[in-house]
Amino acid sequence: MLAIYILFVCIVSLLTTRVTPEVWGYFLVEDGGNHPITHWENVIGRAKSVDLNIPLKTISKNHALLSRTKEGRWIFKDIGSKNGSEINGYKLKTDKRYFINPGDELVMGGVHCTIAPASLEESRNNLFMREMDKSPVAPWKILLAITVFQAMTIVQLILGMGKEINVMSLFSIVILSAVMWIYITFFKAMGRKGFEMEMIAFFMTTLNLAIMTSFDPDGTFKQLLAALVGIALMVFMCIYLRDLERTKKARGILIGLSALLLIINLIFGANKYGAANWIMIGGENGISVQPSEIVKLAFICIGAGTLEELYNQKNTMMYAGFAFFCVGCLAIMGDFGTALIFFATFLVVSFLRSGDLSRMILTVAGSGLMGLMVLRFKPYIASRFAVWGNVWEFADDKGYQQTRTMSFGSGGGLLGLGAGNGSLKHVAASNTDLVFGFTMEEWGFIIAVLMVLCIITLSLFAVMSIVAGRSTFYTIGACGAATMFLIQTILNVFGSVDLFPLTGVTFPFLSSGGTSMIASWAMLAYFKAADMRENASLAVRKEDQYA
Amino acid sequence: MRKQERRAIICVLIAAVLFGGMVLFTWRFVRDGSKWASFYGNTQIYTDGMINRGTVTDRNDEVLMDCTPEGIFYNSDRGIRCATVHAVGDPKGNIATGAINVFKSQLIGYDILNGTYDTSAEGKKIKLTIDAEANRAAYNALGDRTGTVGVFNWKTGEIVCMVSTPAFDPADRLPTDKKSSYYFNNFLSGTMTPGSIFKLVTSAAVIDNMPGKDDFSFTCDGKNEYHGTDFTDVYAHGTVDFRSALADSCNGAFGKLTREVGADTMKRYVDKLGLTKPVDINGIETASGSFSFPSDNDVTLSWAGIGQAKDLVNPCSMMVYMGAIANEGEAVQPSLIKNATFIKEITGGKSLGNYLSKSTANELKDMMKNNVTSNYGEGNFPGLDMYAKSGTAETGGGRSEAWFVGFIDNKNAPYAFVVWVKDPGYGSQVAAPIARTVLNELINY
Repeated sequence: MLAIYILFVCIVSLLTTRVTPEVWGYFLVEDGGNHPITHWENVIGRAKSVDLNIPLKTISKNHALLSRTKEGRWIFKDIGSKNGSEINGYKLKTDKRYFINPGDELVMGGVHCTIAPASLEESRNNLFMREMDKSPVAPWKILLAITVFQAMTIVQLILGMGKEINVMSLFSIVILSAVMWIYITFFKAMGRKGFEMEMIAFFMTTLNLAIMTSFDPDGTFKQLLAALVGIALMVFMCIYLRDLERTKKARGILIGLSALLLIINLIFGANKYGAANWIMIGGENGISVQPSEIVKLAFICIGAGTLEELYNQKNTMMYAGFAFFCVGCLAIMGDFGTALIFFATFLVVSFLRSGDLSRMILTVAGSGLMGLMVLRFKPYIASRFAVWGNVWEFADDKGYQQTRTMSFGSGGGLLGLGAGNGSLKHVAASNTDLVFGFTMEEWGFIIAVLMVLCIITLSLFAVMSIVAGRSTFYTIGACGAATMFLIQTILNVFGSVDLFPLTGVTFPFLSSGGTSMIASWAMLAYFKAADMRENASLAVRKEDQYA
Repeated sequence: MRKQERRAIICVLIAAVLFGGMVLFTWRFVRDGSKWASFYGNTQIYTDGMINRGTVTDRNDEVLMDCTPEGIFYNSDRGIRCATVHAVGDPKGNIATGAINVFKSQLIGYDILNGTYDTSAEGKKIKLTIDAEANRAAYNALGDRTGTVGVFNWKTGEIVCMVSTPAFDPADRLPTDKKSSYYFNNFLSGTMTPGSIFKLVTSAAVIDNMPGKDDFSFTCDGKNEYHGTDFTDVYAHGTVDFRSALADSCNGAFGKLTREVGADTMKRYVDKLGLTKPVDINGIETASGSFSFPSDNDVTLSWAGIGQAKDLVNPCSMMVYMGAIANEGEAVQPSLIKNATFIKEITGGKSLGNYLSKSTANELKDMMKNNVTSNYGEGNFPGLDMYAKSGTAETGGGRSEAWFVGFIDNKNAPYAFVVWVKDPGYGSQVAAPIARTVLNELINY
């Protein structure tokens, strides 16, 4: 019941959010009225879908870009228009950036335009409108609810596991609770308001720790450390992402590091459950890292781009090349599930960038053929497709994991057998690939489904929040991260309950595994960066908020 | 910027796929959850491939099977074990219609809210309607012959006896062949040639559809040649009317009666009397009978009318029909799980509708009593108000099978029964004593 309340409040709060676009200035066209500028990055042109639309024949469809610097100045860039542009009588070169000040005379294809700053009244109006917006829910009630939930989890684990439990694993949950309070109190004191996403993540992490404890109490503390590293990384990324120029510069390094990681993985990769996607450091009891999880973060950052970059062929090619490299490496490792995630994310990000549906279809068709080749040469993958939809007929063979997931899972009914009471834990990969079934058995069908709804909510929120987004960088980043979460969840859940062949990928936050946990938390930074509610997000500098 | 914003709809589509999948899965979960949970791979409820919780008892709380983590334990009496094995099921679940299979989700105590959650892990108790002692009596009476005995209460629908042979001891070594006839429940899953008991179906058609039935007469010469085919009888019955034709089970007379009512009416009556549909017993579906009444071949039609030719009947559906005659035409659905007895005693079991009109049922009932008094002998059934019909089905190659079906109208023992034995003797001589033994056991208990 408590779980339902927590998620319900968060979900409703996130989904009913209305964001008023900020007005940064006006774009005046002779005889054509004035257009409020609501983004930091705008396309000017004749096409209907552009941001500043001038329906005159001498203007090109996508004529020029107008972007705002963080100092509040405007930059104009002609992106190869047919009839060219002039500022104050000076003929502009294509694809070069020029500062443009309010009042400057801009001529595009013979049409006279200018920029006007937002008036003081306008700014005030802006402020007023934003105050009308639904402010994020106060975190305290939910926080308390999660804490009670955590306490109940501990009690249940003690009752369910008896002597098998150890103090450290329970203590881990206490620490998580403490970190949650510190995190929220600290940032609340800093003037931040929106915490729904973090609270969903904290809640899912609690469940993850409970599952880990039930599976193997000795691993819980490690899992907690991973979550803490993830939280730290998220905060760091949020702060780093604030500065777009800085982020753009970091991408080169990211590409290099990612490539290096994947290559190291290829060479030194250790084989776990059929895919060589692990690096073991320090032998038996050392740390095992799954580099592909970390590369996911870089993959989104590299795929995202400012509007200016989207019109830059070189940038697009670089991204495509990097994506090909990543998917290729993963395929060689035999980690086809993760390769599929990267590939799907690549498709979505490409679509966001170019809007070119036909190219997307071609890509899918081409890769479909490649997929068939894989099936041809990797018989164990083909056999997974063969049992797909008929797992009950192969219950003790290829359908072993799926049938156990469904059987034990439904044994949990709607309410679950209670933490620590499950039996699915004796099946291989139950706390990672089959975690949905694990949750169903111990926590019940309702909570398992709510976990999926959490992921859906996070993703929908990402989509809704971009309406008032400042740069396409954040838009694409959030959508890319959402796609990754969604595809991961689809493959994980559908795979384990026979709606799709079993691929063996992790469920964000819920699946055990340190690297996966770190990556899930860090991924939240992309969502936070897109959250434009007033004072909601620590990824947006406070002083940046109004003009 | 706006373009990118619009394109973000693709994320919503992916989310919709995930959501749609969850809806589909939820639907499957609600529909199949109990099946999934009772899957043999679920070690919560299975130990060494055997179900580890739940108890099955007979109507008097005699434990027939107790499933525990240490194994499955059956009743201590070997006779009871063999006699109830088809009702209860074997440890490996080879008897498809056994309680251990068909009531599995009730046995483990599955419900959609709590799943298999059970603090005591003892599972649930299922009380069957059968009487262990009566089953044992039936089993002993059948001896080493293949056969089946079914008895149910035609008011409440409770099946009090259900035995099928060959049977085996579930506590001993099991037959290794999963398709072995030992695992087959003749009562539920069998269809056999009915022979003369089918004349009760033809009679119902005659009563309703032959206005001149009271003036019917037929002279039986023991051979009864018709279009070059002999409808032989045991002896020459002489001149019989409709009533004595049934009592003497005269093949010649019933061949003629069948021709007079016609193929279409016969077809209608086997449907109407529920013989061509499966009977639903707490979710167990019985086999359904099949018949063929050609309208262009009077000889085959005549054979079909006396329960030969291609006629195949399921014993359970025949028993339900007997119950309908006893119950003034209204058929009651049989059940195997005992519940809410108090209310059932008063209101009766779930009705399957009127198979016959009240007057037709009463006329048939009267004729069945006449069978007993004039042919089988009332003295053979002391203490039983017996209404019955015997049958001897010719199954080719000189083999025959014996039937005895009917009901008793004792005040506190409204039982309808069916007995079928693979034995070359006559129904009234071979099958009738088995019915008497079982009914006496039930009444005297």
